[in-house]
Amino acid sequence: MRRRRFLRSVGATGAAGGLAGLAGCVGTFGGNPNTTLGKPSGPGADGDYPYPTWGEEMPDVRFQNPLAGEAVSLADTGRPTFVTFFFTNCMTVCPGLIGALRNVQTDAVNEGYADAVRFLPVTFDPERDDGERFRAYAEKMNVSLDAGDWRFLRPESVAAAEEKINGNFGIGFEKQPAEDGNYMYNHLALVLLVNGEGYVERAYTGPSPNPTTFVEDLAKLRK
Amino acid sequence: MTDRRTFLAGVAGAGVVGGGAWVATNGLPGATPTTTVETVDARGSTAGEQAVPVPGEVTLVDLFATWCAPCEAQMNSLVSIHEAFGDRVRFVSVTNERFGNGFTRDDLREWWVGHEGNWTLGADPESRLQEALGAGGIPYLVVADADGRITWRHGGLASEASIRRALEGALDG
Repeated sequence: MRRRRFLRSVGATGAAGGLAGLAGCVGTFGGNPNTTLGKPSGPGADGDYPYPTWGEEMPDVRFQNPLAGEAVSLADTGRPTFVTFFFTNCMTVCPGLIGALRNVQTDAVNEGYADAVRFLPVTFDPERDDGERFRAYAEKMNVSLDAGDWRFLRPESVAAAEEKINGNFGIGFEKQPAEDGNYMYNHLALVLLVNGEGYVERAYTGPSPNPTTFVEDLAKLRK
Repeated sequence: MTDRRTFLAGVAGAGVVGGGAWVATNGLPGATPTTTVETVDARGSTAGEQAVPVPGEVTLVDLFATWCAPCEAQMNSLVSIHEAFGDRVRFVSVTNERFGNGFTRDDLREWWVGHEGNWTLGADPESRLQEALGAGGIPYLVVADADGRITWRHGGLASEASIRRALEGALDG
């Protein structure tokens, strides 16, 4: 069953290279040879989801890191990585997501494991979010751009945002006009914890993720 | 009724996740378990620990963060409400921001004074209180009566009138 669901999900998203992970996706005794964390209970454990869940290969999509002039893959990370999707003008949900990851980064700095984790927040608002915006946002959110390998990423265009982010991760972001002539977005709140081999260990949903859960799950991957 | 059912489910969930030395129930039926948070030396607040909701007192709990724009607007209301209710209701504002990495207790104090806070200021770096209260985002307000029962909760920016009504209800109850 799981295999069929996975195939369907790969087919739907058109994730290149997804098939390579299939062999390892059906483990024995309920485990998964590609993950360190066990199968989660509750949401994200079973069923069809528009985003990759436990044991699935992270779609190998690339985004720009405007502050370093590089392209960064969400799958080819080499170390445990938190990925989320946001936009800097967001007032409510996104600061909660970024704030939670910032708390993990702070724990990493305070506890001396900043070299063993990566943070890849990806904007779906490339029209407004550029390097300058990211730098100001980091300042506002008390995020260090020099610790814990934190890289703010952006798709190269609105079309790329739709294809790469909605297509692969089911964020369903949708532009909403605001009263002041500006715009906001409706979107899914998702944080993915990806292991160093590019497999999803956890998919956390909900607007108010608990950073302590992130820290505890991450600790198991660092062992 | 719906609110109460939601609340009970929330407490049951929090009991599983947040179990440990820092979470204790005061034993009253329907009372929410208290969570002990660090309190910060700041205007109206002294360094130490505080069980939240405050046992035996009507408590207004305000979950916030210094980066949260709606929380600033919420503070404007709370300052005015505190002037009216501060002698009968314990106000506790708590952030889950971790200290370090460019954010210090001095930064928190500065924000607090800049927004005219003048009551107990707490830090919950492991988000235990947020978890125990089932808060889905900030700002998030909770009112508990003197028996520790949550009588009102609100996610997002709450109107001053609704907070005043909630406090009056908890004091009358």
